[in-house]
Amino acid sequence: MDFSSPSSSSNDAMMDQLKNQLAQAYAQEFFGTVREKCFAKCVTKPSSSLSGSESSCISKCVDRYIEATGIVSRALFNATK
Amino acid sequence: MEEHSMSPELQNFLEQEKQKAMVNELVGKLTDVCWEKCITGTPSGKFSSSETNCLTNCAQRFMEASVLILRKMQR
Repeated sequence: MDFSSPSSSSNDAMMDQLKNQLAQAYAQEFFGTVREKCFAKCVTKPSSSLSGSESSCISKCVDRYIEATGIVSRALFNATK
Repeated sequence: MEEHSMSPELQNFLEQEKQKAMVNELVGKLTDVCWEKCITGTPSGKFSSSETNCLTNCAQRFMEASVLILRKMQR
């Protein structure tokens, strides 16, 4: 990355690119965590296919983990007041 | 990295993104730890109030524990 360029449109493009890369890295990490947690909770004895209850469990688990992220995030910002 | 060749705009931007990334990492770690402690059963359609309270308490107690530990390390 060439940080010495004074052009503001190349600055903007670079900042956008960086923001996208950071967002992608975050999404990738989040996906990995949720996958690990929900597989552990929902697929206790892997069989020859995912059952309906296993799939439904995974779906609910993802929703709950996203919700938990929100709850923890809000608790964090209330605690720092 | 030679910072004198980077515009203030870029420096500010990088600093902001760094802060955001640090917050995201903390929230991620907290959620991981508190999920393990608080969500023990099979996931359902919504959290019980005891699960919600546990998550909130967990996050806040974790931060308090962090402060305590830092203080001890500074002696």
